Amino acid sequence: MLATRWRTRISLILFAVIPLLLATLSGIASTTGSTAAQDDALVLGLDISDTRTLDPHRQFDYSPPITEHAIYETLVTMEPGDYENVTPLLATSWELADDGAAWVFHLRPDVKFVSGNPMTAEDVKFSFERLVNLKDNPASLAENLKSTEVVDANTVKLVMNDKAQPLLNILISPNFAIVDSKTVQEQGGTSAAGADTADTATAWLDAHSAGTGPYQLDSWDRNSQIVLTANPNYWRAPASYPRVVLRHMSDSAAQLLALQRGDIDAALNLTPEQLDSVASDTNIKIEKGTSLDFIYVTLTSNAEQSEPLSNTAARQAVAAAIDYDGIIDGFLGGNATRPPTFIPVGLAGITPELTAEIGYHQDTEKAKQLLADAGLADGFSFDLYYANASVVGVSYQNIVQKIQADLAGVGITVNLMPTDQTQLITEYRAGHLPSVITFWNPDAPEPCLWASASVERVATRVGWTPPDSLLNTVTEACGSSDEAKRNELYGEYQRELVDLANYIILAQPIYRVATRTSISDYQLTAAGWQVNLYDIKPAS
Amino acid sequence: MMGRYMLARAIGTVLMAVAVTLPTFLIIHLVPADPVQAQLGDLASADPEIVQAFRARWGLDRPVWEQYVIFLNGLAHGDLGISIATRRAVLDDIRDYAPATFELATAAAFLAVLVGLPLGVLAAIKRDTWIDHLARVVSLIGLSTPTFWLAFIVLALFYGGLKIAPSPGQLDPGAVPPERVTGLFLVDSLLVGDLETFRSALAHLILPASVLAASIIGIITRTTRAGMLEALNQDYIRVAHAKGLPSHTVVLRHALRNALIPVLTLGGLAYAQLLSGAVMTETIFSWPGLGRYAFESAVALDFPAILGITLLVALIYLIINLLVDLSYAIIDPRVARQ
Repeated sequence: MLATRWRTRISLILFAVIPLLLATLSGIASTTGSTAAQDDALVLGLDISDTRTLDPHRQFDYSPPITEHAIYETLVTMEPGDYENVTPLLATSWELADDGAAWVFHLRPDVKFVSGNPMTAEDVKFSFERLVNLKDNPASLAENLKSTEVVDANTVKLVMNDKAQPLLNILISPNFAIVDSKTVQEQGGTSAAGADTADTATAWLDAHSAGTGPYQLDSWDRNSQIVLTANPNYWRAPASYPRVVLRHMSDSAAQLLALQRGDIDAALNLTPEQLDSVASDTNIKIEKGTSLDFIYVTLTSNAEQSEPLSNTAARQAVAAAIDYDGIIDGFLGGNATRPPTFIPVGLAGITPELTAEIGYHQDTEKAKQLLADAGLADGFSFDLYYANASVVGVSYQNIVQKIQADLAGVGITVNLMPTDQTQLITEYRAGHLPSVITFWNPDAPEPCLWASASVERVATRVGWTPPDSLLNTVTEACGSSDEAKRNELYGEYQRELVDLANYIILAQPIYRVATRTSISDYQLTAAGWQVNLYDIKPAS
Repeated sequence: MMGRYMLARAIGTVLMAVAVTLPTFLIIHLVPADPVQAQLGDLASADPEIVQAFRARWGLDRPVWEQYVIFLNGLAHGDLGISIATRRAVLDDIRDYAPATFELATAAAFLAVLVGLPLGVLAAIKRDTWIDHLARVVSLIGLSTPTFWLAFIVLALFYGGLKIAPSPGQLDPGAVPPERVTGLFLVDSLLVGDLETFRSALAHLILPASVLAASIIGIITRTTRAGMLEALNQDYIRVAHAKGLPSHTVVLRHALRNALIPVLTLGGLAYAQLLSGAVMTETIFSWPGLGRYAFESAVALDFPAILGITLLVALIYLIINLLVDLSYAIIDPRVARQ
């Protein structure tokens, strides 16, 4: 029906279009694709979709502190792997004053901000007061900070509300960043009462930085990238890389491809399987660091939520039925440790050996015996709530299925209750759920933060009223400056919590980051900022 | 006549879009979850003063109806409120993310038409030959392949394996985006005459756009084919052939023009769908678009952002429908006369 001429023409069009597209793709791409990794810049591939602000006194998410720690500095800090000892940063020395009710910090002289303004005690006062008065998320960390007083230009005094409560270790958090008070005030910042409505500096701080860190913020394109450049006024030797790019890559498989191609120098969010898959690649190495985070299960004491779980022996039976090693080896490839209870390994003298001694381990005979003791020899059932989400690359779904199978072995039926994340948090914090599996990550490496949470707000969620004696032990431990004494008190606290079995810690992950061998000194830290960008150097 | 019609349609469009926000508003308030809890850290959530400051800041301490009135009032003043999750004006967020989505969706639609239309025409005139079968297979594959899978395979093949595609994202890592005028990287880079950035942006666009195009090529091809088959059987085609008109004139001017109406209708809907965001493609290609923003807002129960996006998506659908309706008149003059 159709003329041959027309037929040929259409075929020609069709067969020209597809190769043309391919040719365009390769033509355009080949000129840009291979030049992507920039020699002078350090490029990290990570998910920065949780970066919502870079205002240090407001941010409270997981990825921003990497940036914050590079552009701002705190009075004191901690070295990767050591979360017991506080080391100098903007303060060179500090001591207790006023009979232990205040800390006095002596500031490093001759430190300048990016703007060139000198850093003084006034900046410390402004920063801490702004943090408190913004009443944003991190203000809760400054609970024990009563006032910040300027003693002289290089000395500042922090008065505590309660000298039995900790403050020093919390000051290492990037939320206690010292900002350039003159610059921030020029941009609408205020530290006065009412700052929560009066302060308008956040938009400026999202695009610029006003700190003393080794880097300054060059640009932040939301869900795209954060670019840092070296701070010309830095008080130490300049950073090894003049530029750092934090490249947003929300998909871990894309991170892996980019790392293999050399477009990024480090991939921060690979799954355990992906990390295993690059083990043999000679251009890639894997850096490890034990976190202070943990995955835990709660069991209620509240009979209204679950009659059987309110029986201590029944909860102990659950704890004795779980195959902890199976979870750590099976899902995390062995890359995790486990504390006895609510304070992680690495703090308060807690070690995996202590867990072996006083913590939970699988013992099905003991579990059955405990069930019999509880009058539940035929077993019982309860609802375990979990979020439709993943943690360290492992979906909660997989973990709860393993727990379900383990508990079935001793006659306990677990009903799996998948729940939306926001709904889970709401219901859990309101104390409405009999059993939850979720995640805890710290605000600052201060064991008291864990201990007091576990006997206060988290205790309410599991319907448990701690005895006064335990509350006293925790208070005493929190305020103790004698390390041996403190650790002994925390040991007492842990034994009591283990015995009650309201909290079962499943795994404390060892985080792994895959880097190109072209960079060195990538040290993971659990102190709150994942990695110290200043330390990273080109491999020699 | 036409002017009045346009005005009525435009007013209807705006009213419809606003009306859509009411059911959305009611549904999100029925969800038994608290956005403040989602935003606050564990420690802060136990501090009544911080919780209260948060509630007050977003008016969450007021009755539900009052919150809706506040939203409508803001809307009347061109203000969509402040996002609970990002702490920025929802309008600023949308302004940031919409251009990336618009660029991606438009490129995808362009590619889909470029491939789908000729393929559909060819499948119709070469009915039941290998070309027709090929077109059917291509359509089916595009329609039935999960986008996240295709996106990853394409990335692994062209970026990871063949090394001819650039890294995920809109530009190379560390590259400076062109100065913002429209927010569309292709347009803005040309406006300042930066050909290097233009080329880079185009290269980064091709893979995700092809993946998205694949999902709608099927619709375009199948509708074009069906429309063409129907048109080619009409008497006027026979007449045209009998008059001795060249075949391409018959196919393109007589048949295709009549076959285009259903293609335009369905293609318009497909384009609207692409414009409202493609979460999986955006995630895998690290594309800073609306899909991801919409997803995160929904997860966080970010009321102002959810309402803003609802409004935007409703407007996109309504405007595209309006444009499709108007273009009927251009393709088929009979429609205009009615």
